[in-house]
Amino acid sequence: MESRETRLIAGKGQYADDLDFPGMAHLVFVGSPYGHAKIVSLSVEKALAVPGVLAVLTGEDMVAHTNPLPVQANFKSPGWTWRLADVYAMPRDKVRWYGEPVAAVVAEDEITARRAAELVEVAYKVLEVTGNALEALEPESPKLYDDWEDNKQVHLKFDFGDPEGAFAEADQVMHITNREGRVTGLPIEARGCVAQYDTKMDSLEMWGSFQTPYLSRHNIAATLGMPEVKVRINAVDIGGAFGLKIHAWKENVVALASKLTARPVKWFEPLKDFIVTGPHQRDVFWEGDVAFNNDGTLLGVKATVTHDLGVESTNKGIAALSIFPACSAVPNMYHWKGMHIEGIGAVTNKSFYCAYRGYGKDKGIKFIEHALNRIARKLGMTPEAIRLKNYIQPHEFPYHQINSYVYDSGDYPGTLNKALEMADVDHYRAEKEKCLEEGRYIGIGVVSAIEPAGVAVPNCQMGGITQARVQITADGTIEIHSDRTEIGQGSEVSHAIIVSDILGCKREDILVKRVTSDYIGQGPLSSRGAVYPASAVAKAAKMLKKKVVTCAATFLKAPEESIVMEDGMIFSIDHPEEKLTYGQLSEKALFFPGPRGLPVEMLKNHDHLLDVTTTWYSPTTPESGSSYTSFCTSADIAVVEVDIETGATKIIKYVHVHDAGTIINKQIVDGQIHGGIVQGIGEALSERLDYDTDGRLLTTSFSTYLIPTAVEAPDIEVAHLETPSPFTETGSKGMGEAPIIGSKAVILAAIEDALSPYDIVVNDSPASPERVRKWVVEALKRQEEAQ
Amino acid sequence: MKMQVQLNVNDTTHQLEIDANATLLEVLRNLTRHQSVHRSCEEGECGACTVLMDGQPVNSCLILAASVQGNRIMTVEGLMKGDTLHPLMKAFTDELGLQCGFCTPGMVMSAYALVNQWEEEVLSDMDIRKAIEGNLCRCTGYVNIVKSIRRAKAAKDAGNWW
Amino acid sequence: MKNFIGSRAIPDLVYHCPENMEQLMDLLGHIQGHFKIVAGCTDFIPAVRGGRWAFDDGLELIDIKKIPELKYVTLDGDRIRIGGATPLSMIIGAPAIKERAPGLAHGLTTMASPQVRNVGTIGGNICMSSPAADAVPSLLVLDAQVIINGNQGEEKSPLDRFFLGPGRNIMAPDQVLTEINFPAPAANESQHFQKVGTRDAVVISIVSAASWLKVDNGKCQGVRIAMGSVAPTPVRLPGAEALLVGNSLTLDAIDACAKHASQEITPITDLRGSADYRRDLAYTLTKRTLTACMNDLM
Repeated sequence: MESRETRLIAGKGQYADDLDFPGMAHLVFVGSPYGHAKIVSLSVEKALAVPGVLAVLTGEDMVAHTNPLPVQANFKSPGWTWRLADVYAMPRDKVRWYGEPVAAVVAEDEITARRAAELVEVAYKVLEVTGNALEALEPESPKLYDDWEDNKQVHLKFDFGDPEGAFAEADQVMHITNREGRVTGLPIEARGCVAQYDTKMDSLEMWGSFQTPYLSRHNIAATLGMPEVKVRINAVDIGGAFGLKIHAWKENVVALASKLTARPVKWFEPLKDFIVTGPHQRDVFWEGDVAFNNDGTLLGVKATVTHDLGVESTNKGIAALSIFPACSAVPNMYHWKGMHIEGIGAVTNKSFYCAYRGYGKDKGIKFIEHALNRIARKLGMTPEAIRLKNYIQPHEFPYHQINSYVYDSGDYPGTLNKALEMADVDHYRAEKEKCLEEGRYIGIGVVSAIEPAGVAVPNCQMGGITQARVQITADGTIEIHSDRTEIGQGSEVSHAIIVSDILGCKREDILVKRVTSDYIGQGPLSSRGAVYPASAVAKAAKMLKKKVVTCAATFLKAPEESIVMEDGMIFSIDHPEEKLTYGQLSEKALFFPGPRGLPVEMLKNHDHLLDVTTTWYSPTTPESGSSYTSFCTSADIAVVEVDIETGATKIIKYVHVHDAGTIINKQIVDGQIHGGIVQGIGEALSERLDYDTDGRLLTTSFSTYLIPTAVEAPDIEVAHLETPSPFTETGSKGMGEAPIIGSKAVILAAIEDALSPYDIVVNDSPASPERVRKWVVEALKRQEEAQ
Repeated sequence: MKMQVQLNVNDTTHQLEIDANATLLEVLRNLTRHQSVHRSCEEGECGACTVLMDGQPVNSCLILAASVQGNRIMTVEGLMKGDTLHPLMKAFTDELGLQCGFCTPGMVMSAYALVNQWEEEVLSDMDIRKAIEGNLCRCTGYVNIVKSIRRAKAAKDAGNWW
Repeated sequence: MKNFIGSRAIPDLVYHCPENMEQLMDLLGHIQGHFKIVAGCTDFIPAVRGGRWAFDDGLELIDIKKIPELKYVTLDGDRIRIGGATPLSMIIGAPAIKERAPGLAHGLTTMASPQVRNVGTIGGNICMSSPAADAVPSLLVLDAQVIINGNQGEEKSPLDRFFLGPGRNIMAPDQVLTEINFPAPAANESQHFQKVGTRDAVVISIVSAASWLKVDNGKCQGVRIAMGSVAPTPVRLPGAEALLVGNSLTLDAIDACAKHASQEITPITDLRGSADYRRDLAYTLTKRTLTACMNDLM
């Protein structure tokens, strides 16, 4: 069978924009030009009068025909704040962010819909804008949701270990503040789908860029008030997702449009819409203290992280949920005595928060890695020395971290040492001194991280659900089903490798099926692909192997333990000349088991149907409460040169050493590493979502929201350690987010190192040329004043 | 305004009635059904819709279809020989120079223009990177794309090229 | 205020594609209603998609990119002449530019992407009259002249008197920029261009700067400095230039000149950068481009 890569490169992708149904209508959203306003009146007459326009849906239609968006995570707990707003897919009364859809025009073709969208007349009464989280938490700040006491959506408080004891025994305490700008994952393809409502069957089927079809089915059915069994969601080829295409929101409107017009309706989102009304991330302020001893021993942290969540997430509760990993990631891979971490989330008049590669893990780790580098500098230690001193050691696994995570395995010192060796750190440190004499500023950044992967938390839709099915058909081809949509991260190849390795079948005889809502699972998110779905597929394949062996032993009249399966052939080691293909075995097992064929017990149990559906759940989560199952390790070292006159940063060298346990496919893992690192570089240097004081987003295109091009992206040297996870079926670990976690932290660390002659603290991202230059100018002023 | 145009795509001439305001991107996707040409920003910033016009990469979203009469348009479909991948495409699959695949056809066209015109012995990584600066990719970090292009050049040097 | 729409429809068009200047002039003579002259369309389409330009009643679009008389790069005696509808990539690749004006070629390669440079034209970049037009500072320091044609006849104007404000210039809607020309730099002249953006490639400048120097016996016989994104139009900086001309070229003199340049401009704060940062960059880029010129010549 043609590989996915071959199909895609030949231009035979089937992305959302490629969907074409007979009689298909097109939907275009009309957004608010204001950041916060009351809808005084809304008239669709002129738009409806345009020839070819079929319908114009508004907030009124949402109230009339749908339910408010369903709750997806709910953590109401004593002492904590956790508020959820009652919102519809489109508002009736009030817009709360720039671009928020107020109407959807459905027309025979897209250009007509776009034209008519101009003619939807909305009168607004502009309201004062709440521009950022710190403002939002002020008592006088305008409220986003009238029924809330204030703009605070979430306040979580965690005590890990013994924070008071840690601070009591510490030689020193350092105050750390850190800020990250607002960013978006921004795959090159925005969202899109086709909805087809069958008026005869009263059922709905959708095709599109669904990262999590099973959850989308639940949420769309709930919104439309339909029985879930009457809804089917199909993922098509997805042009990148990175978390931004989990669940559904505007898709509800498309579904309703199909229902009301009795036509298949297509929506393909313009990229600008995706930036303006798409999921945002980061935008956090950290403030706290780190306690440590004079010899570099780390003891404790007391810190608060404040998130600017934007409006209530259209994936209700999922934005707030990301505050958990932000807080829990702070201990990273070190020994600690105790921590007190508080996570606050405030709503503001910005687009909503949702998942993006990292999902908070990156935030906690970036904060603590920054702190470690500053402490090391203060103590006259190298950044590697302080890490090596505090690492959890290889013999300590499984390690129960103070935050209840159970770290599965790893070689933290080995990972960092390998990176140090590859990066030739000593050479660059000497180079740094030499260059300083010429007025050039080179810096070496060192960062290491674990990535908690494979999320399973209670009280939300991310409970760890997964399901897989492996079937050998009667002609011997093999199909695999799971919840792991292919978003470019190699799901299909990985699954095929796992199954062919276990069954000894040929890779080209396997088809990994497109994901639909037919199989239970929360999809690929939180790097769970190699943890949950891969384990479930491996488990199913192993169960299937047993059946194959029993059938083969019968057909070949040989003992089960003598059966060998390799390269698509099945035979007994005792009579290797008599071979069965998978097709021969399967056809015989399915259709011709015969009276003299298979064992009676097998026939009774239908075990000769070579088809296994199973599930998999983390062995550690239920008892420990560890929300994650695997913890891969990475060490990043970056060498940069900062042009202090312009503030521009150039990456000279980039080394990444990774330990993701057993590697299923190195090319895929390397690809994840390269891509994640460059996304992190974008966050560190140039990406930022900027709103003006009226709440209007200014960075709405690829020319203003600056993701790296090939020119800024460095060459990346990668090496692997393979410390298998004892907790997954394959020994592999989730690793999709680790590269972004390390890279954005290490670039900033390298800049800070380059600017060390000026004693500049690099604690704000992106470290854009202007910001770096500003730091330098301020430092020069300080130096002048000191003299 | 409706117009009759002749559009040469992959050496096939299409006689079409188009709207004067239709972009080349829209006509390729919707009328001649070259769906390898992907739509994203529609403002010439992402490169997903890159095709070759007379051998040079252009953003098909920034070109009115009415204006390309007499020009030769080429898409990845035109690189294939039947079901056989062009050596450049093969290089991309061998090096995994693609992940989600959305930017890929446009990227391949820019790479094809580069390698086709690449006569000098040595081109630096930065030369390759500059040639694809107009094709944004969010998945690969470009590392394997640069490798793919180098591999394609080796194939061309070995005479495996069309 | 207009509705937010992610991507707007291109207006109904009547498309004209004159094949030569005569047809163009004829068309301009009798065309009725709203019309617009375009060449590469690389600015036109984003402007209508983004709603910055709207033509609710449709538009007569006059596309001049197929007029051969407007597409050329020649060395004509001591002048380099470039047709108004010449794509940027064609200019970059032209031997006359490579050999005689490498600084201009470099400047043009920093503009947009290969895809855009293959269709976007030099005339389009000038006529859009963006304060951030990256082709312009280099042309200003080369003392370029533009030739404008229309049914009222041909006009010539020094490029530094062409711009009137952001998006505004001296041309009437029914005029066409047919040529840009400038004296080909001699052996004792050098020109450099540099820009700073938030990212290296495919980025709009925060500041762009070009310098041109003419040196005889270690003395500065001529100097021109121009900048983009530091004022309502791309500008020459005569005050800074006056500090250098006629004097010995030293790093100190260049430094003083660059300091003056940073004060001579009138930058604003916008999304791309603050006024302060722009002044700061104006100093650095003036210093760097002048020093690069000096190093070429001394």
